[in-house]
Amino acid sequence: MIEVRFHGRGGQGAVTGVRVLATALYFEGKFTQAIPMYGTERRGAPVVAFLRVGDHRINERDLVHEPDIVVVLDPLLGRMVPVTEGLKEGGLVLINHPRSGREAGLGGRFKVATVDATNIALETLGRPITNTAILGAFAKVTGMVSLESLEKAVLKQWPGRIGEMNVRAVRRAYEAATEPVDVSNVEGVKVAPPRSRFERDVSSWRVFRPEIDEEKCIGCRRCYIFCPEVAITMEEKKAKINYKYCKGCGICYEECPVGAVSFTQERL
Amino acid sequence: MKHWEVMVGNKAVAYAAKLARVQFISAFPITPQTTIVQYLADMIAKGELDAEYVTVEGELTAQTAALTAAAAGVRAFTATSGPGLLYMHHPMHATSGARLPVVMAVVHRSVKGMQPDHSDMMAQRDTSWLMLECENSQELLDTGIMAFKIAEDSRVRLPTIFAGDGYILSYTAEPVEVPGQEEVDAFLPPYKTTFPLLPEQAEESRRWLMEQWGVGQDPQLRWKRQQEAMEAAKSVIKEVNEEFGRWFGRSYGNGLVEEYRCEDAEAVIVGMGTIASTARTAIDNLQKQGKRVGLVKLKSFKPFPAEEFQRIGEKVRAIGVIDRNISCGSGGIVFGEIRNSLYDLDERPKTLEFYAGLCGKEVRVEDIERMAEKTLKVARGARVASLVGWV
Repeated sequence: MIEVRFHGRGGQGAVTGVRVLATALYFEGKFTQAIPMYGTERRGAPVVAFLRVGDHRINERDLVHEPDIVVVLDPLLGRMVPVTEGLKEGGLVLINHPRSGREAGLGGRFKVATVDATNIALETLGRPITNTAILGAFAKVTGMVSLESLEKAVLKQWPGRIGEMNVRAVRRAYEAATEPVDVSNVEGVKVAPPRSRFERDVSSWRVFRPEIDEEKCIGCRRCYIFCPEVAITMEEKKAKINYKYCKGCGICYEECPVGAVSFTQERL
Repeated sequence: MKHWEVMVGNKAVAYAAKLARVQFISAFPITPQTTIVQYLADMIAKGELDAEYVTVEGELTAQTAALTAAAAGVRAFTATSGPGLLYMHHPMHATSGARLPVVMAVVHRSVKGMQPDHSDMMAQRDTSWLMLECENSQELLDTGIMAFKIAEDSRVRLPTIFAGDGYILSYTAEPVEVPGQEEVDAFLPPYKTTFPLLPEQAEESRRWLMEQWGVGQDPQLRWKRQQEAMEAAKSVIKEVNEEFGRWFGRSYGNGLVEEYRCEDAEAVIVGMGTIASTARTAIDNLQKQGKRVGLVKLKSFKPFPAEEFQRIGEKVRAIGVIDRNISCGSGGIVFGEIRNSLYDLDERPKTLEFYAGLCGKEVRVEDIERMAEKTLKVARGARVASLVGWV
């Protein structure tokens, strides 16, 4: 039996991705279990899902604690969540990251493969929903599932145009995924989990970053009113963003009546 | 034609209702049951299921509407979880009192939190409903179909719950075999009520119910008749389980309990629902080490298969019961039932009580191994500090 743990953020489609992968593996004659962890997550918050793959019905109904493979759908998640915890020695991490496996901020007795799933998703879907792109890379680096079965499962989940867009994401990522590399002598970025469950630093959630042009800002307070994270304050009749609390939802950008807010992709 | 599909437990439940050709559904959404009614609403909208779907303002009405529909002569279905089930408690007595075979899916959710335990169903213990517990999504689908046949049997005529652990089953996707509609139709004929509310049969129906209720003779009779029906249900469940096996190639122990690797066992552990599933792996691991401990999966909580535990109790020296529920002030409810069953045996096994999985606490393979090993130790005569454990 092979066990996989998926780390993502609410909105990246980790749960659906695991389900699609379970379906694709089932097409190849495997017995699968796709286990989501549901709580009161919101868009952007860290989420976990698990996959078990075996040749027979799987009886274990507990969670996966010692995965063979870890899949990370977000490049910065590893700073908040110990994504490689419990990973078997010699195991594999597949992470959504624009650079190589040795530069992805992870170190230990395992291998790391990368794929720039965010940009592939933005180019093929127009949204940073990274689940299907990461699955394409999963097929390539693990060899556990064929591209054909994966595409079939994607089209079963989303028949029609959406499915075809996602198939493009799968194919692009399959081509772009990097070979797993050894990172045993790499020092990983230190995990800084929130000090309490109520700490609200959400800066690592952003894919896009809003910036306010003070020259253009007319002080109408519209962004201040609509910001769901209360990340905007008014200082001398100008809106100001506190980036610690900004999760990059883009509502201020949408609401600004004079186009004073820009919204550009964060650089890693 | 049967087919396989990777689906979540809630979809398996919806499939059971669809294949049983339910004619009436009334339910109120509550996590983690919600997607069952979403799937069913979708099936009705697409014309795959010919049923009346009634949206209601709460579970009390959902149950009342279902029982009324069943009385009118149609096959009725509802589903709920946790606090929703508590809100149904009052009309549930009316459904069993009127001897109406409503079938309900319970997706377990604790009554003291969002995550699963069996406290929601245990709070309905005395409502005269049959209660069948499932360990995986395939069993949910199969038990759902069997539940209608059991409930509608003229020897039973009692409403039936089939249940699975919320989250653990409701949202986990796995391959499930969906039987063909023709086979299910042959296995489960259409529902015919004993007392439809049609004018020409009203008098006959009224007389049957008055008889059942003991009106004008003995007011206790309604309870006595329900108890008799519960006792009769034991053999009906066994028959239906066996017949299901003949039709579909799958059955679940003898319908009441399933003994897993209990041959030559010195001790057994007892579990319900997904705990029984995980316990299979634990038992496999222990038997590999030569430890003779087996698993009894309790499938039918109501009627409680006391005779089965008497038979098992005569063979083993200790029984460890894993309860995913507690009646504070007394203890685990399954534990109480089992110890009660064993009392009259000449040589009783030791009984151990374990509380596990309450409020969704994870039950790992290692946890069950520890419980089984402790039970085995007691079977071999070891003295332990306590026969009760919180895992």
